[in-house]
Amino acid sequence: MSTQYDADVIVIGSGAIGSNLAYELLKHGKSVIIIESGKWIPRWKIVENFRSSPRKNNYNDPYPDQPWAPTSYRPGYIENTGNFQFYPGMLRLVGGTTWHWAAFTWRLLPNDMKIKTLYGVGRDWPISYEDIEPYYVRAEYNLGVAGSDIEDQSGQNRNQPFPPRSKPYPVPPEAETYYYQRIKARLGANGYHLIHEPNARPTQYWDGRPPCSGNNNCMPVCPIGAMYSGDVHARKVKNLGGEIIEDATAYKLEKGEGGKIVAVHYRSSKGEEHQLTGRYFVVACNGLETPKLLLISDVANSSDQVGRNLMDHTGIGLQFIADEPLWPGRGPVEQGGVFNRRDGDFRSQHAAMKHSLTNIVPNRPVTKYLLSKGIVGPELDRQIRYMSARWVDISTMLEVLPNPTNRIQPSSTRKDALGIPTMTIHYDIEDYIRRAAEVAKSDYAQFVKIMGGTVIENNTGFQNRDHLMGTVLMGDNAKNSVVNHEGRCWDHPNLFLASTGVIPACNVVNPTLTGIAVAIRSADIIAREV
Amino acid sequence: MRCVKIISFALILGFVVPIRGFAQSEMEVIQRGAYVARAADCTGCHTNAGEKPFAGDFILASPLGNIIATNITPSKQYGIGNWNEEQFAKAIRQGISPTRYLYPAMPYTAYAELSDADVHALYLYFMKVVKPVDNKPERITSLDFPFNQRWLMMGWNMIFARKQPWEKAPPEQDNIKRGEYLVKVLEHCSTCHTPRNILMGEKESQFLGGGFFAGWYVPNITSDPISGIGRWSNDELVSYLRSGTAHWKSQAAGSMAESIENSLRHLPDQDLQAIAAYLKTVPPIRTHGQIRPAFSFTGAKPVNMALLDYAIDRNPNAMTDKTTTDGQALYVAACATCHQLDGQGTKDQFYPSLTANSATGGMFYNNTVMVILNGIQRKTNDGIVFMPGFGNEMNDIQIANLANYIFERFGNDSLKVTAEQVKLLRLGGERPIIAKIVLPIGGVILLTVVGIIYIKRKRRRQRYRHLSSKR
Repeated sequence: MSTQYDADVIVIGSGAIGSNLAYELLKHGKSVIIIESGKWIPRWKIVENFRSSPRKNNYNDPYPDQPWAPTSYRPGYIENTGNFQFYPGMLRLVGGTTWHWAAFTWRLLPNDMKIKTLYGVGRDWPISYEDIEPYYVRAEYNLGVAGSDIEDQSGQNRNQPFPPRSKPYPVPPEAETYYYQRIKARLGANGYHLIHEPNARPTQYWDGRPPCSGNNNCMPVCPIGAMYSGDVHARKVKNLGGEIIEDATAYKLEKGEGGKIVAVHYRSSKGEEHQLTGRYFVVACNGLETPKLLLISDVANSSDQVGRNLMDHTGIGLQFIADEPLWPGRGPVEQGGVFNRRDGDFRSQHAAMKHSLTNIVPNRPVTKYLLSKGIVGPELDRQIRYMSARWVDISTMLEVLPNPTNRIQPSSTRKDALGIPTMTIHYDIEDYIRRAAEVAKSDYAQFVKIMGGTVIENNTGFQNRDHLMGTVLMGDNAKNSVVNHEGRCWDHPNLFLASTGVIPACNVVNPTLTGIAVAIRSADIIAREV
Repeated sequence: MRCVKIISFALILGFVVPIRGFAQSEMEVIQRGAYVARAADCTGCHTNAGEKPFAGDFILASPLGNIIATNITPSKQYGIGNWNEEQFAKAIRQGISPTRYLYPAMPYTAYAELSDADVHALYLYFMKVVKPVDNKPERITSLDFPFNQRWLMMGWNMIFARKQPWEKAPPEQDNIKRGEYLVKVLEHCSTCHTPRNILMGEKESQFLGGGFFAGWYVPNITSDPISGIGRWSNDELVSYLRSGTAHWKSQAAGSMAESIENSLRHLPDQDLQAIAAYLKTVPPIRTHGQIRPAFSFTGAKPVNMALLDYAIDRNPNAMTDKTTTDGQALYVAACATCHQLDGQGTKDQFYPSLTANSATGGMFYNNTVMVILNGIQRKTNDGIVFMPGFGNEMNDIQIANLANYIFERFGNDSLKVTAEQVKLLRLGGERPIIAKIVLPIGGVILLTVVGIIYIKRKRRRQRYRHLSSKR
């Protein structure tokens, strides 16, 4: 039977992962249509929105939040029922949420792929580090990652680069800021291993993007397009002849014979209904929207794991005033951190952690703090100058384990403007993390002591880190996982999920590069079959 | 093969290293050949970025259609491996290869003046060092009638290609002469910087007086203090030729960026100094109507700062709306992060000023618009200089208004550009008259025109020969 399809592959979502996957398929000569709920907005427009925003600390603020394409901050869009208020900052526009991110592009460690085997906790990946390594390389070259080829990124102070790489980083890391140098010197002298964070801010021209010049504005928007964002590959998709349909919100995947998906149905902001057919379908709508679409379509869920096992790198923070001027805020928003507890046998007892040195220009939080203390007038100016120079902000990320009760579900009562259910999230902080938080606080006490610091805040409570993982996790068994090692749904041979949601074990590192690497691997597999 | 690699390495380093298989004297000649190839920028057209050197298959978007630069490696099947030195010389100096007439996209009108010794050196370099590439070309030149009648070039050559070789390349100590040889012959500057007449021949009376190419204005580089480079210091000229930037004067983009990338930045300092010295002696030509130099538009005109940092509608539709045609709003959003609100760029001029800038202060709107459309990409000895283009992110009227804002506030405020003109530049600029009128009329009429002009020009040609014999 011959059937006409709209395209070989329909990709739902134009973010960094969907666009990279679509780009790889086009390079393989396949026809691709991406549908995207938001619109294509030029960078200059986002910059204009940012410049005029009174809420510079709200990273979603320069981006449109439409009733028909709501961002995660839209009041009422996410309803929480757990002991933690889970509110990641997700966007709706061509290019997705990598429009604002810290652009850290980490690889997992070989040990991270088998934490059940090694530490008796969580789940193992169905593939090994060696399986994914070549795809990490391709992802790094797609994004133009600046990274160190000499450091032990596991934080274990081996005298050799780790994890192993088959190809050097595309571009060398940026020079160390004075802030980073000083903290590295002082903490380093006390046994803490400070490691550069690989990032998608090239230090030299890379593939149509200028080098980073340290605008320190990665979040909410890189004003010069140096930092990678998903629109880079959305543009490439278009240039290679792929189609991107804006203002197209998927609301249903239609099942056909033999468990195959035959169409995706979507609505425009005006409520017009359309459908697209394809040989294969890829859902790439982030770690919350992807499971939501599967659940409202009633697909892929024979394991009952869709939407469950939600993980963030839920963290805590520390701010203090050091005893010397460090001049934070020059260069990228973050450059490195303390990685001693990234891996080790302790993971059988409590979460791994990384302590990142946030390097965002601190004038705003400093001023807010001083005003809250009632300081005004010339004294306010004096203290802003004094404290902004000495401000140290540590942002800790903790390893979260998959727990089926931490989940996202379509709301049973509320709908968005298109009549599509909004979300209900249940997310509890567990003891595995709470124990780690206590360890982190003991580190904090050391940091403050070593830096001669005066604590501003060392009890932040748990914080969102906007890393959406586990909700469509991969595994080696159809009974307890959503996709197999290829990213293919166990239930539907022509449905792939491309999302950080497929990550079953997440360590403490930002997941986007892993999501892209897995998606490139999926693209190669799809290309062999369509 | 390894031997060739070592030689290439030595050539790059500029050392004369005696190597087995080559006598010292032959090495020197080959090294000279490598230098001539570099200074004549053979790579610019005959090498595709990232591909094997001189393998051709490079598309030159000429106003008359795409011309494909060919494989000039010593491949016997696909390159010039079977050419003897005489054939080689005829091709590069007269535009006649063993099999056909070349189009003057190959600057043989300039290379005609190459000394015999340099042609010989170049020949040896290509035959003995350049690696043959035996790849079948993917494309060939096929222009529309009548331009596909290559024999017509015979007539054109009689008029426009009649320079004679220099007796020898000038020695190092003869600074200005050396500069002249570099400018006129090797770097073939006049092929772009001299305006062309209706038949696409260079107007000799306007030597280096500035012209138009593929949408760009190619600047006047005569010694004129207003329109040319008369008030540039020699060091500024050298900096520009080396890196494509002369602070508070000009930045290289388009084809000039490519010339710097492929050729000029590799030349020794004394060559660039010689070019600067010679350009200072080129008879001045004043661009019609110009009364002050482009770089004299210093300092931005003041604006109300409150209008630069304005509140906008926070409605999501407004935040999505990319249709504003307000030049200032576009400048603030798209340009000011690097070039700054006051247009002065950064202190170190890593991001250059838009005031005191040849693109914004000159007599033509072209280059400002072309840079906004296409950006800048230029490999220098200190990394790649890059500005993104905005052709994808702004429509014609937005770009016109943005450019007009820049002219008004930072540059020559009498410059104006319309959306229609931007549209034309987006498509590669105005086509020359010959492309517009000759295509429909056909070859016979072209021949007639060629013949008539040939007769009319005969006297002047003889005068030119007389002048050039004084050299």
